[in-house]
Amino acid sequence: MFRNRIKDVLGLNRRNQEYVRPYNHPKSKALADNKIATKKLLAKEGINTSEVYKLIKNRKQLAFLDWESLPKSFVIKPNQGTGGNGILVIYGRKRGELAWIRPGGEVLSKKDLSLHIENILEGRFSMGERSDIAIIEERVRTDSFLKQYSYKGVPDIRIICFNLVPIMAMMRIPTKRSNGTANLHSGAICTGIDIATGITTYSMHMNSKSLLSDTYEMIDNTQDLKINKKLSGVQIPDWDKILDIAVRCQRASKLGYTGVDIALDADKGPIVFELNARPGLGIQVANQAGLRWRLEKVKGLEVKSIKHGIRVAKNLFGGEVEDSIEAISGRKVVNINEKITLYYKSYKEGSKNENKDREITTAFVDTGAITSRISRSYVSRMGYFETMRQFDYLKCPKNFLAFKDAQEYIDEYSKNMTEDAYIIRLAKIFEDGQIVVRPVIIVKVRISGEIRDLEMIVTEDSTHSVTLGRNDLRDYLIDTSKTFK
Amino acid sequence: MTYTPFTQWMITTGVPQQVLELLLAVMIVATIVSIARYIIGSKTYGIYAPIILAIAYSYTGLRYGLAITLIVILTTLLSYTILRRVRMHYIARIAVNYCLLAIMLVVFFIVIGQFGFGLDNMANISGLAAISIAALSDFFIKQYVKKSFKSSVLILFSTVFIATLGWFVITRDVITTYFLNNLWIVPILIILNILIGQFTGLRIKDLFRFKSVIQNKDKDNVQK
Repeated sequence: MFRNRIKDVLGLNRRNQEYVRPYNHPKSKALADNKIATKKLLAKEGINTSEVYKLIKNRKQLAFLDWESLPKSFVIKPNQGTGGNGILVIYGRKRGELAWIRPGGEVLSKKDLSLHIENILEGRFSMGERSDIAIIEERVRTDSFLKQYSYKGVPDIRIICFNLVPIMAMMRIPTKRSNGTANLHSGAICTGIDIATGITTYSMHMNSKSLLSDTYEMIDNTQDLKINKKLSGVQIPDWDKILDIAVRCQRASKLGYTGVDIALDADKGPIVFELNARPGLGIQVANQAGLRWRLEKVKGLEVKSIKHGIRVAKNLFGGEVEDSIEAISGRKVVNINEKITLYYKSYKEGSKNENKDREITTAFVDTGAITSRISRSYVSRMGYFETMRQFDYLKCPKNFLAFKDAQEYIDEYSKNMTEDAYIIRLAKIFEDGQIVVRPVIIVKVRISGEIRDLEMIVTEDSTHSVTLGRNDLRDYLIDTSKTFK
Repeated sequence: MTYTPFTQWMITTGVPQQVLELLLAVMIVATIVSIARYIIGSKTYGIYAPIILAIAYSYTGLRYGLAITLIVILTTLLSYTILRRVRMHYIARIAVNYCLLAIMLVVFFIVIGQFGFGLDNMANISGLAAISIAALSDFFIKQYVKKSFKSSVLILFSTVFIATLGWFVITRDVITTYFLNNLWIVPILIILNILIGQFTGLRIKDLFRFKSVIQNKDKDNVQK
């Protein structure tokens, strides 16, 4: 068991040897490391990136930069920066002055900004210390929904794609500790996302107390907001669109193994921040799942289209959400059409006929109904034929004009109960546009691995043989995403 | 000391014995660094820093070497935190840092000369070795600027630790003599490093990093 789980996890050695090196051509890597080239390429693909206001390639251009022409808020980045270093976010400008305000309230003069840009040009924040280009670009305004989870900065969504299949996803949320950056190493929160549904699962951040680097701590809530929020079970908006963009980025960049960073802009929707040729492995902790077996499943698979790739991912890697929600809320998840097992009247555990005396069927989950229902033909098959005959002997009227009349009939019936113990009571229901009275019996059912005795109204045969009503759904959460499965 | 004919031949044909020993030391420490990185997962400031540090320690002696390292790091921290507040160019800042470092080392030598502190032979240590240790300052600041203070300190510790390990190995006479007499070990080291280079398993550090994923027993089985 333990051994197998070790095999699920992708380590740095294998990531480099088996995925980054063979699948990411140096040309593609150079492209991913170059933000301007990435922007150009993605623009051709029709994928949104943040708008560039100015490019500063050398000191001369810096000297001639028209500061007045810059909008109120913007971001200064190195073109080839690593790990979010050298990114300076400007929130606003002081009125009538050449001075700008950072998210923390710090005021920067023109000289401060020039120095920062000079440092970028010198290559202080860039890979291999080559001289670099400074980009002044639009500041992404976070989608209002995700904004409530983050401290100042922009949360982004990282999706690892391999062979045109989105393999694993996480959201990185800036915190006070990370100083508004979405970088795990500076203390941002990472939250795993279920590929199938776009619902967040587990969350973690870097352990601040631990002396060792790279030790993580699992958390449930945001840490340093005024009102801390629960991090799991959050539906990421535009999820399918995000997956589509991620895979299209992979195809365009020709990176075989890549991490795509996407932010949600309030106006423009999903915006691609950058592509990573060597995405980090912490995502495995945020998802509490190993990357290696997922990658191996997808390796060599012939993915015909982007849609196909996404479908593969959803089928293969989806479903963590159900387990994790159960762990959090103590409730199981049922689908709209949930597979259940019905146990016949003659069913006895451990008997020879154990398998014969039960059947698997699909129940329709209907929160509009109070009591669960089952069709008459099923009940008869299950051994309650005689019971149904008994009900027929009552010669109950075919329909009633009002619920009041039906209730009177039921009251009358309960006074002189018949000897058949299987009918526990009568119920008045609305069936095919008519008010009718139907018997209620107790049926042994297994839902989501749990055997329960349910009170069910026996109805005439209809589209759904078994319907689960509100009374019996109290302990479940309903997943509406698999309606047609 | 007697050597095998091959080693003897090399020494008599113009390879200085000291250079030969040093080159062997480089190979050994390089291999240690490579094992530390890919099998254990402990990062160092590149491969050059631990090698030069280990060799410098072998010249100064570990106690003196570590004392100088401590001074270098403390001075760097101090000067960098002060210089951070001054708006200036990066290289100029590093240059100021080196100047301060030189001054501090001189002060350190004077203090030791006066009070000893159990480091009596300080005056005898090689200047080149001391400067090699001082180069650590540059590595430290680079990491600090690019990553974070914490990561730089952590990498500093593992660099010094691995250098100490390297020092321990290369200063054992048994080991160096054995290596000098058994030069066939050199190709073995190459093969060993090629094997490490092919290693795709989890590093020991990965096991700690992904402990929660590895130990998470009840999940994920459903999906397979």
